[in-house]
Amino acid sequence: MTLTMPLERAWHFRDLIRAVVRRELAARFRGSILGWLWAVFGPLVMLSAYTVIFSNAVGVPKSAQGGGVKTYALSIFTGLIVFNLFSEIMYRSPGLLQEHVNFIKKSIFPSETLAWTATIRALVYAAISFGVLLIFELFVTAALPPTVLLLPLVIVPMVLFLLGVSWFLMALGSFTRDVAHLMISIVPVLMFATPIFYSITDVPPQLRLYVHFNLIGNYVEMIRDLLLYGRLPNLLLYAGTVLVSLVIFRFGYRFFMRYKSIFVDVI
Amino acid sequence: MSSEAIIKCEGVGKAFQLYMHRNDQLKQTLFWRWGPFYKEHWVLRDVSFTVDKGECVGIIGRNGAGKTTLLQILCGITTQTHGIAQLNGRIAPILALGAGFDTELSGRENALIGGAILGLKRNEVLKRMPSIEAFADIGDFFHQPLKMYSSGMAARLAFSVCAHADADILIVDEALSVGDAEFGAKCDAYIKDFAKRGTILVVSHDLMTLEALCDRLVWIDKGVVKAIGTPSEIIPEYRLFMGHTDPAEF
Repeated sequence: MTLTMPLERAWHFRDLIRAVVRRELAARFRGSILGWLWAVFGPLVMLSAYTVIFSNAVGVPKSAQGGGVKTYALSIFTGLIVFNLFSEIMYRSPGLLQEHVNFIKKSIFPSETLAWTATIRALVYAAISFGVLLIFELFVTAALPPTVLLLPLVIVPMVLFLLGVSWFLMALGSFTRDVAHLMISIVPVLMFATPIFYSITDVPPQLRLYVHFNLIGNYVEMIRDLLLYGRLPNLLLYAGTVLVSLVIFRFGYRFFMRYKSIFVDVI
Repeated sequence: MSSEAIIKCEGVGKAFQLYMHRNDQLKQTLFWRWGPFYKEHWVLRDVSFTVDKGECVGIIGRNGAGKTTLLQILCGITTQTHGIAQLNGRIAPILALGAGFDTELSGRENALIGGAILGLKRNEVLKRMPSIEAFADIGDFFHQPLKMYSSGMAARLAFSVCAHADADILIVDEALSVGDAEFGAKCDAYIKDFAKRGTILVVSHDLMTLEALCDRLVWIDKGVVKAIGTPSEIIPEYRLFMGHTDPAEF
């Protein structure tokens, strides 16, 4: 199996993925009057709240004082967007097969596409939040750094990483419901292990290496570099993160496909 | 007519692994070395038959005989434990009408998803949408959320989507009696018309329909093929076996 195989299959089923994604997106704000405005409103409130809290009540940690309150708020917000993307996948993936049991048992449905639909759905909301963030940044700094254009180079491997995680958790979650419960306890812990409210430079040097094992944290830092600070990420860190992401992507897919034929009889 | 096998089953067997506890499946996957953690239950054993191009074959048998499992194997939904199951052509499975329909979405949107699951391209579905709407014949409900539908209307929509799938092989699991008499007749007419150009495999308990529709019947009992033959050969025997002598009861 090559790395491109899962991508080719996804391309083959693109119309199906598209139809299911549309359904998912339509479902999210169904029955609300403001509808899609909530997707913009939520991040906006969050961003304003951080700015107010850190400028008045709490104060900015030492490492971030150079940039001031607004930059710190932007940096937290970036971290949260990336982490929420990841946590949505972690929470949702174990139950995905169960959720679509009718598709899987009663029709010829390529269940591996569910990882794509879940990931794309999460990405759409992250993109809206990023949009709010970019507008806010424009107001604060009057110009966006040119490194913003390099974002796809970080986003693409991140998406592959998310897909790999999703496939792995989907497979595991179909065997036992415990995986879903495990996620509920793990994700909040992971949140503190991820540089969201702090920066990797706040971590004592002897612990930094371990923090880098957390890929989400690496992505947070790299996206901050490109989006907020206008500098290139550490290339060694980038290469390592991309490599591990590709391995997870490949492993997740293989793991899922290996057990795919037995899910039907279990769920 | 040349005997070009479109569906071919050779010695197909399927064992379900019965787990006493849900998580035993995980144990089996991880610790198979110390297993087994399940009991085997054979639903199909050594099932062999072929369906030629343009043929219409019915499958009969008691509840739990393994008919639905056989269809699931042929569709590729589940895999057989041993044997060969081959299908040459595009399948439209009508296993459960309206499986995967979303009650909050309109009939039109559900048709788009249903079509995509059947392997149609988006623009193919869009092109056929007027025809799908006309066949379902549910009026303005087509643009209403599915939760407003009666169960008959949902079945009509589902059948209509399947009827537009452009398949070579139609696989039908007891879905023939959907909706009211009028729509039932429409479905029957569609299937009869389909039988002229395509191959059909149908599971049903309605012996009258099978007799009118099918060229051959495969009778499965307790997972084993008991007999294969023309409806006129099989049906009297089957009735006798089932303990019914009065045809009016079917």
